[in-house]
Amino acid sequence: MAMVMRSAFLPQLPPWGRKAMFALVLAAICFAFAFPVLWLILTSLRPESGVYYVHRGTEFTFGNFAEVLREDRIVEAFLNSALIATLATVFSLLVTVSSGYMLSRFTGPASRLWFGTIYVFRCVPYISWVLPLYFVNQSWGIYDTYVGLLLPHVAVHICFFSWLMKGFFDGIDPSMEYAAMIDGCTRWGAFIRVAVPSALPAISALAVLCWLFTWNEFLFALILTGNRVPMITVVMAQFVTEMGLRWNLMAATAVMALAPAFLIALFGQKYVIRGLRI
Amino acid sequence: MFGEQQRFVLLLIAPAALLLLLFQVVPIFIGANASFRNWALYDPKKTWVGFDHYAAVLSDPAFLYVVLPNTFLFMALSVAGALLAGLALALLLNRPFRGQKLVQTILLVPLMVAPVVAAIMVRWIFNDQFGIVNVVLEAVGLEGQPWLVQRWSAFGIILLTDIWLWTPWFTLLLLAGLQSLPKEPFEAAAIDGTTTWRVFRFLTLPMLRPVIVVCVVIRAIDAFRTFDIVWTLTGGGPGRATELFSLYAYVHAFLNLDLGRGSAAAIVGGLIILVIGVALFRLVDRIAKA
Repeated sequence: MAMVMRSAFLPQLPPWGRKAMFALVLAAICFAFAFPVLWLILTSLRPESGVYYVHRGTEFTFGNFAEVLREDRIVEAFLNSALIATLATVFSLLVTVSSGYMLSRFTGPASRLWFGTIYVFRCVPYISWVLPLYFVNQSWGIYDTYVGLLLPHVAVHICFFSWLMKGFFDGIDPSMEYAAMIDGCTRWGAFIRVAVPSALPAISALAVLCWLFTWNEFLFALILTGNRVPMITVVMAQFVTEMGLRWNLMAATAVMALAPAFLIALFGQKYVIRGLRI
Repeated sequence: MFGEQQRFVLLLIAPAALLLLLFQVVPIFIGANASFRNWALYDPKKTWVGFDHYAAVLSDPAFLYVVLPNTFLFMALSVAGALLAGLALALLLNRPFRGQKLVQTILLVPLMVAPVVAAIMVRWIFNDQFGIVNVVLEAVGLEGQPWLVQRWSAFGIILLTDIWLWTPWFTLLLLAGLQSLPKEPFEAAAIDGTTTWRVFRFLTLPMLRPVIVVCVVIRAIDAFRTFDIVWTLTGGGPGRATELFSLYAYVHAFLNLDLGRGSAAAIVGGLIILVIGVALFRLVDRIAKA
């Protein structure tokens, strides 16, 4: 562990030495975390002939991106993933904000039972219910449709997000809601007009997370969709096994799939951090 | 029938409960039903076969001697690795320095990368002919390895990918935990001239324990069901050497087209993790109360 080693020999170094060590360690860490992504971006910019010698050569091109975007299936998959992620975010928030509010504001058997249910279903491995969901979806006629993919995505977020929302509401003083109710607000009014607006920062954090989770999800899309609703993660996984030799195109597709993550890391950082701090 | 308050409470959770019922509870029961029947995908006779599928899963040497050990080993090592790396990073970053924002941004990226994309990157880096790892190894005179077709190197690479993906999550949460610790005990220790190691061992670690335990529980449960990175990196191969529990169920249901057997495997795994999950919850509860 870095901390132990540092404390063992760093005190003997002069202050500038410590600073240099610290900077060096930090640089190494950043490199380790950034390298795979940088390497992927570099690969995506190399022409087909240069892709096997990414470390050499100086030709760069955006041709790979253009070629990938000419593939209808990939474009369709990107659009599908964006659409499902957006819809799943809206619906997940609609159902989990109220469920988290209930967990936070009410105690008693109903609340305890709901919390227990959520915890248990949070533990159930995805495969244990997505595998039979394949049949449920087929018998309901929603296999390989938007609805058939969207609703399980909303369902999977219920447990974790209710839990997170409970934590957020726990941090908000309920006295404003009581005051509103004394002034003649109904319970619904207190919830929608007072509690929800004050939880808005948390809700936006959750929205960012939810969008990313859905965009990145793979197993659901693999099992619940066929050819009619291609999703980008599934298309890429097929790509890597079927067209395993065309790494320049593979890399270009992957870089485009990473774009939302980059944008969020740059501009939505505070939301992600807020959302992840349980 | 209900008072005004009960009605409000029930309505608040009704949509969530309904979705949970339709898309998790119902499928689980249907899966349980299928696990007792002869339910081949190409010819679903659906005749009752009792515990045959369970017996087949539990006596399958591949499940007992490869899949289960792999799953538990993966769970233990990936959680331990990400926790240790995340803790070390959190301790390192827990001070003001220039460029903090940049480091934070870089650390956030793995958190948001799709596991499938991460697996594709790693596959390319460790490609046996053109991957940069082998290129570098050969440049310094070592022999390149076919990383993904040897059992333990493939397993190690899957682990490494998972740790790369999850270390930043631990770092972020532990850093938040560190920053919320009270200052006074540390000031007292500094006045007493306590060594850094003792401060860590007897102050930081015990005070951080609740956060660590919660992180470990959440990650352990998620690590058990890992699918994406294994599927994209090795597909469970070479042979079935890196198959994890989720892959085993998937392969039986959708590649061997035996939904009964796949469901039985999924339920066995679900029960295992449920027992672990409840035990871990008790542990968290006890630590939170202590």
